[in-house]
This record gives sequence, C-alpha cells and structure tokens, in this order.
Amino acid sequence: MSDDSQDIMPPEGATRRRALMLGAVGATAIVSIRPALAQTAASVVTCEIPVPDPGRAGSYIAADGTLVPAGTPGAFAPAGKAFKGQDVKAALGGGQLPGTSYDQSRAYTNYIRRLQSGTSGFTCFASLQMPRG
Amino acid sequence: MARAESLRIAHLDSFIAVYHRSSGITHLITAPAPEILATLGEAGMSLAALGERLAQDYELGDLDESALAARLDELVAAGLVSIA
Repeated sequence: MSDDSQDIMPPEGATRRRALMLGAVGATAIVSIRPALAQTAASVVTCEIPVPDPGRAGSYIAADGTLVPAGTPGAFAPAGKAFKGQDVKAALGGGQLPGTSYDQSRAYTNYIRRLQSGTSGFTCFASLQMPRG
Repeated sequence: MARAESLRIAHLDSFIAVYHRSSGITHLITAPAPEILATLGEAGMSLAALGERLAQDYELGDLDESALAARLDELVAAGLVSIA
C-alpha cells in the first residue's frame, strides 16, 4: 500500500465519460467494519477518560492539549478525576467539562482529541466517535 | 465529505477501503460511493447539484433521484458524509 493516493478516486488517464450505475434503492455500496470497542450506549456513558494518562500524571496540559512540564506558564494542572464519556461527548460538541473553567476545558478537550491507541482513555474516546454512538 | 486528513484511503481493485481515523471504522466502498464522495468534496452540494454533476461527469443513463438519495443516506449513516 506504499503508493496509495489519498484521493478517493484513482487517477484516470482517459477523459471520456465512463458508465456509472447508481444501483437500486435497496442496494448498498458500503460495508463497514467496526473495531471491537464499546458496543452499547451504556458503555459510552460510563467509560472514563483520565486527563492526563495516569502514566503522565506529573505533567501539565497546555492550551493546545500537549503535555508539558508541571508549572509551565499558561498550562493547566491535571484534572482531579477522570471524566465520564457522556461529559466528554458533550464537551466535544461545544460544551464544557464539569468542574472546569472555559480555558481549562478547551485544553483538556484538546488533550483528549490527541489521544492515540495505547494511551489510557483512547478506547472510550474512540467509542464517542462512532456514528451511531 | 469527512475531512481528508481524517481518512486513510487504499485502492483495492474493485473496492476502495476508507479508514476513518477518529472512529476506527474501515469502510469498504464500491461504485457509486467513491464517485459521489469525490464529486461532493469537502464543500458539499445539494442533491440536485450532485445529480447534475454526476450526469455531466459520467454516463448515468436515466438519473434516478431516489437511488442517488439512497446512496447518500448510506454515506451519511457510515459517517463519511454529513448533512449541512
């Protein structure tokens, strides 16, 4: 896959129009493969995301969500406890995390948006992104 | 269409695999889904404008609006397209 174009359509040399079938109303052109993450709405509501990962508990959170040394000016101390999935989902949609100021909530949600696989809270965060919750 | 940087695309013969990073879901899509996504782009367009553009760019025969709407609904359900 090393030479994949990130364009949705592969490059075509010819300029003449090719046939395109839209298919019948009941047909489908998409099959979706979901990873084995939280399967139920209850799991999304009760899963938690610590800010930051317990392994980095000594770091502060900068406004852009990156982790910086404790005491860095303009950065925020770690959240006292992990946030619930439903609170994070609301914050990602424009709300504010409970018990935080506006700027603190922005920094924490930017941290959460940067979560990668392997970091505590990633599975919960990924579950919040599922189109059907 | 979802932001380009959130997607990883692989062309696989008759399918295109679209990995949507933020959800971790891989969608295997086949015609006309890729053509619709490419035509919509990130800016998007109305259903009527999409139909006209596809008819311009491809040999559609008779444009069936209900079939086009059904294909769009699948893309919306998959999370690859949002309704403005």
